[in-house]
Amino acid sequence: MNDDILICRCQEVTRQEIIDAIHEGAVTVDGVKRRTRAGMGLCQGKTCGRLVARLIAEETGRPLSEIEPQYARMPVRPIEIGIFSREDPEA
Amino acid sequence: MKAMKDADVIIIGGGIMGCSIAWQLAKAGASVIVFERHDICSGSAGATDGVVGYHTKQPGPQMDLAVASIQMFPQLQKELGEQIEFDFTAGGLQPAEDELQWQILSEIAEKQRESGVDIRMIRTDEACALEPQLAHDIVGALYCPTSGKVNPMNLTMAFAGAARRHGAVFLTETEVTAILVKEGQAVGIRTSKGDFYADAVVNAAGSWAAQVAALPGAELPIPIVPKRGQLAVTEPVGFFMKATVQCALYNIIKFWPERVSDKRLLSLGASLSIEQTANGGMIIGCTRELVGFERHNSFEAMELITKRAMRFFPALEQVSVIRFFTGFRPTTPDGRPMLGEISRLPGFYMAAGHEGDGIALAPVTGKVLADLILEGHTDLNISAFDANRFF
Repeated sequence: MNDDILICRCQEVTRQEIIDAIHEGAVTVDGVKRRTRAGMGLCQGKTCGRLVARLIAEETGRPLSEIEPQYARMPVRPIEIGIFSREDPEA
Repeated sequence: MKAMKDADVIIIGGGIMGCSIAWQLAKAGASVIVFERHDICSGSAGATDGVVGYHTKQPGPQMDLAVASIQMFPQLQKELGEQIEFDFTAGGLQPAEDELQWQILSEIAEKQRESGVDIRMIRTDEACALEPQLAHDIVGALYCPTSGKVNPMNLTMAFAGAARRHGAVFLTETEVTAILVKEGQAVGIRTSKGDFYADAVVNAAGSWAAQVAALPGAELPIPIVPKRGQLAVTEPVGFFMKATVQCALYNIIKFWPERVSDKRLLSLGASLSIEQTANGGMIIGCTRELVGFERHNSFEAMELITKRAMRFFPALEQVSVIRFFTGFRPTTPDGRPMLGEISRLPGFYMAAGHEGDGIALAPVTGKVLADLILEGHTDLNISAFDANRFF
């Protein structure tokens, strides 16, 4: 596979950069994130999270089921700041 | 006869403190092993903003320590050889909403200036000229032109990388289960990967430092508790602001909580702290809550933080939050870190309890601990941070 391929499109992180992070010690999806920014963009890892987990499994030889996924946080999709201040969100 | 040692120094905790100390020690020629339960930067340094400010420091010893630490930043960028996104021209602003806040900030600024830092009060026109997005219905602001910002994750990783290049070893996914003591002296640790011996053991476990100190062998009553800080990060936008901005309540809650009349604000420790990162996203916080290790976000805080951000930066209305997150601030009873050797357990050192100032104070903490361990003394006056002051 081409090492220049983008795994995280939001933050433009390549397969090679993710493999380097794993070799440097990352063993979780969040560990890769803190080293490369993969998963920090608009989609918050919804697309790349599973790809990153698979790369960690491949590189470390650990079962995919044991790779810790990213820690999910609110909001599920981007929400404009103004919405939080509205008395009636439907208005 | 002394048992064969594995390293000169053992550091417990692979966060920003542990990595900074490891780098300073390894650079000075000491052999170091860092033990980390999870991963480098898996705690608070990966769950915070990057404010490196003078203006948010308690006047007195804490401010003096901040001055010594922040002066190290420009050199760090060069020495660590990695991009830490340090911007020391950002400046720090604290808008006041009324004359009372202006008065309180003026008093704080006057005391802070005693440490020799350029901190002054400016009126609304000047504040809004510096930050054009800032709401105009303020009465003025505290301004510190030399406060900066940094990427705390990059800084932690850069400390770790530089420490490794000097020979430091990092054992991650390794849990410490006991402190090994011989003839009243800390001589090593028991871990999930076996026993390790060294001349000195450093507790740099941040919000978890009390648990580490309470381990069998040490059993020290260290009064460090976590305070939850809630923050939001937005989508990246074009240039929005240069300074880091904390509302006046940030300092008032920190230094004079008795002057805050709103009980809800006080129990959440809620105030505004906002900065734009190099990536373009805005990091918006924050709260300081005593809720143990509960790491979820609360709706109450999410609403408060975003409302507070819009109150000072109305143009944020249409900018989207992509993630809320929390981090734990390791807090001591007097708000100051614990630095140095424990008298009743020689060989056991504390480097924890920095609360919300850990990023700014990490460089000097590394230097102070390395000097204390290798030279037996430090040139800085750290009596206010004595690790033995609580017992």
